[in-house]
Amino acid sequence: MDDKRMHEKTKTVAGIAAGLQGMTYDDKRLAELAAEVEILNDAVRKAAAQRLSFDDDPAAFASILAKEART
Amino acid sequence: MRNDDLALEDLTAIADAIAARRITSVEATEACLARIEAWQPRTNAFLRIYRDKALAQAKAMDAELAAGKSRGPLHGVPMAHKDMYYRKGELSTGGSAIRRDWRAPVTATVLGKLDAAGVVELGFLNMAEFAAGPTGHNVHHGHCRNPWDQTRVTGGSSSGSGASVGARMVYGALGSDTGGSIRLPAAACGVVGMKATYGRVSRAGAVARSWSLDHVGPLTRTVRDNARMLGVIAGHDPDDSTTSDKPVPDYEALLEGGVAGLRIGLALPNDGPAPLDAQIGAAIQAAADALGRLGAKVSTVTLPDFTALYRAAEVMVKCEAAAMHRPWMEKTPELYANQVRTRMEAGFFIPATQYIDALRLRTHFVTEFLSTAMDGVDAVLLPAIPFPLPTIEETDTETKGGPAVLKMVAGFTGLTRPFNTLGIPALSVPCGFDSNGAPIGLQLVGRPFDEAMLYRIGHAYQGATEHHLKVPV
Repeated sequence: MDDKRMHEKTKTVAGIAAGLQGMTYDDKRLAELAAEVEILNDAVRKAAAQRLSFDDDPAAFASILAKEART
Repeated sequence: MRNDDLALEDLTAIADAIAARRITSVEATEACLARIEAWQPRTNAFLRIYRDKALAQAKAMDAELAAGKSRGPLHGVPMAHKDMYYRKGELSTGGSAIRRDWRAPVTATVLGKLDAAGVVELGFLNMAEFAAGPTGHNVHHGHCRNPWDQTRVTGGSSSGSGASVGARMVYGALGSDTGGSIRLPAAACGVVGMKATYGRVSRAGAVARSWSLDHVGPLTRTVRDNARMLGVIAGHDPDDSTTSDKPVPDYEALLEGGVAGLRIGLALPNDGPAPLDAQIGAAIQAAADALGRLGAKVSTVTLPDFTALYRAAEVMVKCEAAAMHRPWMEKTPELYANQVRTRMEAGFFIPATQYIDALRLRTHFVTEFLSTAMDGVDAVLLPAIPFPLPTIEETDTETKGGPAVLKMVAGFTGLTRPFNTLGIPALSVPCGFDSNGAPIGLQLVGRPFDEAMLYRIGHAYQGATEHHLKVPV
């Protein structure tokens, strides 16, 4: 991540912390959290774009296990 | 059986001896207590030992048998459990400082089932703080130490469960597994651990790490022991809506099918979060060869790229943990170990849409895995931990920071966590020892609700090998 983007992400996390979650962190920790969230967020967003459609329901997970059961 | 040998017997041998009244539950309990006295100082596996209560319970179980009443295949067997299973009115720390003096308002469904089956409770076991951590470190209650080498980690988070079964202090123990927390300590301590299918065992009354990924399961000395214990604790529970109403098979009765003609896919992945060490790879290959000699058809399979699946699991754990821990994280953050608290914090900043998408992705991940790595095979064989066990000191993230240590610790779950996301069953079985003398564990992964197949393969393997019979000295 380049410095400018990193700075923007950190500002976003800082805004959520203070404005939405009522939490305070120092700048170093905010930067660490921004980097961590970016990795997780991007991985899920990419996987979702490749696989998910309108009708995908979280509850289908239990159904697929039951349907694919060997016994 | 001589009394001083009793603690070294396995669960089924002891249970059958008690049932046949060749020994008493009191004798088995006394043998375990003597073993605990010798090994607790070396392992720190127990947080609380219930000596008097256990003996009283054992005496009651003997009286019931004498009166002709049997509670079933675990009647009178002494066990202990990870300190995250609630028992109404009693302490339940979850391995934390926050709940050091907290008493549970209910009894966990699984403890209720074990009570009904006549199990004697020797106490509660050490664990990673709030089940967060794959190594067995605990800054509040002291680190749990591996019975095979007390400088090395036990694996976690069910550290005391692995250590107490490995050191022959108990015949079986409950653990829980969100990213490997049954299978890692089982592998590290030379015992058998089952993470069954999501929904197979109730989570009601157990401390949650992540509701979506938590699995309750047994750690034992043999596969047969494990099958017996799972048979007792599995099944639908109205107090846990995620449990399945599928009938629970008689796992023990299905053990003897052998592996002739079964198709086993061998995976030796070298591209996970940690590279596969050569001696671990050799031990897994040797296990595959042993199964091949028993008649299994072993073929090489390639695992899909688990990166997205692993990240989706991290999203679920962090978001769910952040939600449940929020009040304590705000009021008393200093009561957490730093590495436990900081691992949850990102959960406050991940958008809810990404959390929901992580949940929605699971169905696709299951379909993809079953149609690729598991296509045409009855089970996949792979390592549980891809490297030789490190020491407690070199993996202490609380005192040693830095990317190398964090990477090593993260590497523990590289081959276990994916199966929590998939929700499919995975069994860890001892398969040798590394050059330091620490155990190595293989992992067998199966189709949903096919625990019986994994037990069948694991049992055949244990019938042809002796790794599980070795006892730490």
